[in-house]
Amino acid sequence: MNKTYNFAFFDEGSKREIRRATLKAIAIPGYQVPFASREMPIGRGWGTGGLQLTLSLIGKDDVLKVIDQGSDESVNAVNIKKLVSDTTGVRTTDSTKGASLIQSRHRVPEVPLQRDQILILQVPLPEPLRNFEPSEHETKKLHAEREYSGAWLMLFEQIMKYGIMATDADHPVMVHDRYVMAPSPIPRFDNSKLDNNEALILLGAGREKKVYAIPPYTNISSLAFDDYGFEIESFANHACILCGSNDVFLDELVDEESGETYFQCNDTSNCLEMVNQKQSLGVK
Amino acid sequence: MNLDVVHDIQTVYRKLVTATSRPGNSVVLEREAKTLDIQMECLSSTILLARTVLDPEVTFKVISKAEEAVSRMINQLTYSKPVDLAEADFIFILQDASDEQMKEALNMAKVGNLLNPHESAMIILEVPDVTKGVSMILSGPGIQEESFISLPNVSAWLGARNEKNKEFPLGIDMYFVDQQDRLIALPRTTQIKGNGGEIIWDMLQ
Ligand SMILES: [Zn+2]
Repeated sequence: MNKTYNFAFFDEGSKREIRRATLKAIAIPGYQVPFASREMPIGRGWGTGGLQLTLSLIGKDDVLKVIDQGSDESVNAVNIKKLVSDTTGVRTTDSTKGASLIQSRHRVPEVPLQRDQILILQVPLPEPLRNFEPSEHETKKLHAEREYSGAWLMLFEQIMKYGIMATDADHPVMVHDRYVMAPSPIPRFDNSKLDNNEALILLGAGREKKVYAIPPYTNISSLAFDDYGFEIESFANHACILCGSNDVFLDELVDEESGETYFQCNDTSNCLEMVNQKQSLGVK
Repeated sequence: MNLDVVHDIQTVYRKLVTATSRPGNSVVLEREAKTLDIQMECLSSTILLARTVLDPEVTFKVISKAEEAVSRMINQLTYSKPVDLAEADFIFILQDASDEQMKEALNMAKVGNLLNPHESAMIILEVPDVTKGVSMILSGPGIQEESFISLPNVSAWLGARNEKNKEFPLGIDMYFVDQQDRLIALPRTTQIKGNGGEIIWDMLQ
């Protein structure tokens, strides 16, 4: 453990500030609470918002998992884990079940979360109305007045242009029937996991200095129209080449030698568990 | 054992997070409370919460016969400034507060505005026992369908609380602490109904 740092990197005053904001965020689901984002020893856009939440929460008994687009081993995930464990001494894990805190970029894990876990999502752009309204003052007003016709119009224009709602990721959701919220760039496949989840979900945006929350058992719906419903990415007739799963989010990859496309789990730790399960069944 | 301002405060905070995310569920601050010297005028949990959330960047108000002494102590521990009710970010209502004082405190507490609903007061209310009193049914975010709790002194705070929280997202978030170092949160999103015979409607003024 590196003694030149405070426990969990921050001084206690910085922690208190983000903690107060987090408690308000939980009490007002989907509302973006401003906080005084701190400078971090990792580049902005690499998850400083999520990292600040993690550091404000973490204690000696926690077990931390960090995933970047489904991978525990990406440079970004490894750097974050290193910073946190160097300044806290906490254990890290790849197992979703074995973690008490899960910091993630761009995915909600495939393994259902449990009530004693907290999922922390890294958010690059917290404002779901920013696409059509550049002014922060104006978007705050729109949220205040629950004036979301612009958000609907944006989706409608996509349908007119592409025939479908063309959001790849970060498809806006309605929280507790009050706030339209950016779920962070998770695939649409993950949106339904936010609805009535057992775990607390916290979202942190470092550059934009916002924290917001989805408490457990909160109603979350993806914005959609009656005649153009919300559709998730389809992997029809495809399964993971490694574990055979067909009910998870798959990445489409190209074999460099043969040039053929194949599919593989995006959530690598879950994939490995599935492979191991199969092997142990096969041994019997 | 003395309070560890890093590690003990971290566990208090996590319990606050759990309580706020799961309204009506009690969390226990007994271990952390034992690290404090004996407090005369307020509960140990009150001190723990003050030390977790207060600093010079926020303000507080104490409602008690011993307001002056407790305010001074909290100020010395946290460097937070005591202010008038209507301005306070945190309002501590101690056990010796009268029903009238309690109602007044809730009536005066700030609820934020539609642009900034987070600029509202957090209320910390001391009660003898967070498991004994009027039976109520809770629903809302953090609660799977419904949960049941019994809280004391309901007639003094429920009416004022519901009035303050009429216009979500405006509102106040309430935290109840008791003599056994237990903590229960009722954030503004929690809907409260009377449970059966002892209905609460005539207490809603
Ligand atoms: Zn797989």
